[in-house]
Amino acid sequence: MTRTSTIGGPPLSSVAAARTARPFWRLHYSRRIQLVGVAFVLPTILFFVVFKYGPMVWAVELSFTSYDMVSTPRWTALENYRSLAVDPVFRESLWVTAVYIAGSTILITLVGLGLALAVNTAVPGARYCMGAMFLTNLMPVIAVCLVWRFLLHPYGLVNQLLAPLGVGRVDWLTDSRTAMPAIIVVTVWRFAPYFMMVFLAGLLAIPKDYYEAAHMDGAHALHRFRHITLPLLMPIIFFVIVVSALLSARIFLMPYIITGGGPGNATRVLSMLIYETGFSYMKMGRAAAISVVLFAIMMVFTFLQMRIFMKREQF
Amino acid sequence: MQLSRKIRFRPPRLRLVSRHWLGLALLLALTLAFIFPILWMLSTSFQAGEKMFQLTTEWIPSEWHPENYPNALSRAAFAQYFLNSGIVSVAVMVGNIVFGTLAGYGLAKFRFPGDRFVLLAILSTLMLPLEVTLVPTFLVVHHFGWLNTYQGIIGPLLIDAFGIFLMRQSILSIPSDYIEAARMDGAGELRILWQIIVPQCLPALAVLAIFSFRDSWDQFLWPLTIVSVDRMRTYPLGLVQFGEDYGNPPTEQMAIAVLATIPVFLLFWLLQRGVNRGFGLSGLK
Repeated sequence: MTRTSTIGGPPLSSVAAARTARPFWRLHYSRRIQLVGVAFVLPTILFFVVFKYGPMVWAVELSFTSYDMVSTPRWTALENYRSLAVDPVFRESLWVTAVYIAGSTILITLVGLGLALAVNTAVPGARYCMGAMFLTNLMPVIAVCLVWRFLLHPYGLVNQLLAPLGVGRVDWLTDSRTAMPAIIVVTVWRFAPYFMMVFLAGLLAIPKDYYEAAHMDGAHALHRFRHITLPLLMPIIFFVIVVSALLSARIFLMPYIITGGGPGNATRVLSMLIYETGFSYMKMGRAAAISVVLFAIMMVFTFLQMRIFMKREQF
Repeated sequence: MQLSRKIRFRPPRLRLVSRHWLGLALLLALTLAFIFPILWMLSTSFQAGEKMFQLTTEWIPSEWHPENYPNALSRAAFAQYFLNSGIVSVAVMVGNIVFGTLAGYGLAKFRFPGDRFVLLAILSTLMLPLEVTLVPTFLVVHHFGWLNTYQGIIGPLLIDAFGIFLMRQSILSIPSDYIEAARMDGAGELRILWQIIVPQCLPALAVLAIFSFRDSWDQFLWPLTIVSVDRMRTYPLGLVQFGEDYGNPPTEQMAIAVLATIPVFLLFWLLQRGVNRGFGLSGLK
């Protein structure tokens, strides 16, 4: 059985390369274990080469061409980027995406932290409330979008609930001032309970002694929050900010279903623009150029996340 | 007298009780604010069609219309759509569990040259979601001849960095001595993985199962991009098409939405114990 073993991998080092002449089963024990580790990781790496790194390289290449899926790609150098730079639709989309990322990230972090603090009390039934709120994170996104589209309808439940407060009929989804805030509210509704769980894990990790000691010293609840909870939770807060920014930077479905990008282009985020440019207008090169821009935005947050990760790992 | 007054007005106890009630009221209000759309969905799915936008919402229907469900199902091939979504989601879940465990184990317990680079390379795929690589990924799948096929929908979703990191973090906490001891006893590498590693990271596997299932069950953009025949549609595409074809019959759309919600809630309920313990393990998402 060992004779037909095909476990391989990239040459590990010059020493290993010199030894590959020897059959696998005669390799030194520790080398053999190294190869096993490589074999476990290799399928994933190959997968990512085919479905992640490869496509991204291809996207960069395509972004310098004009390609409609019918004729062969035509090299146009920086033409896609030049026309994007002066395209009002793209510029508005960039701005809309920035507003969406900033709005959702800030609110998800604040609401998530608030929910975690509310749930992390000795109140009976807190766990059940937590579980119930978490359901919003499990409901299919398409159901979320359809439900909220009805709730935000001019005659929908949201306006009914606000009517006693003296708020007149608001056309949430067709008014360019309220459409984006409405999408942000739905996004926060969907994701805040998830980050509530993340914050809760962080809150539970803070030693109880700190609070008891502060209590002895007569610190008020607000003081305790300001001087114990907040500083110790800072790494998690930073983490949540980065992850929710990464999350909201790529959201497609919510604006696509709830407002269809409108009114006008008020909610046409970059991911929607990529889909429409590529698959409605068949401008693959131009869509690839927008992808590169979205990639650059994602890259900023990913590097921040890598920094968090490496700090924790102490590389 | 003095003493008894002191006892009667012991402030902390009184405050504690009132704070509990206040806290409970606040918590219930918050919970209600978060779950009312779910309740609305459920209630609407049983309403008569014309009652949708009444000025007051009937939370408990005065007339029940359970026929919304069979009506909705019969208007489009929803059985087929749900089957397609189910096949895709189960395949993606299994793929993430298998490859996430393999790669997570490889990265957690094996040192090989470049292992840290591989770790960061996998982390870097977080900036390459399908929304970013949509056009070239479509072209790759097109070149494979996989448009309108299950393997086409499943392919790009099969492995996700989240699962690998979740499994890696979980496996890191297993003492390496166990693995060494098993190796000394002559256990094969796959047997070590199956009999020593897997039983110890069941909470992480539960988390991975529920989230990978949910994410592929939710997936919309990718099937929208590569599926153009009705037979291969997943239920989110069917639901949107249904709304366009029949002028948004909201009660029936909500019936399908309720049906689509059930599998995820059910899976969560089944795996809940594991999920509770496994939360906060990933350190990534």
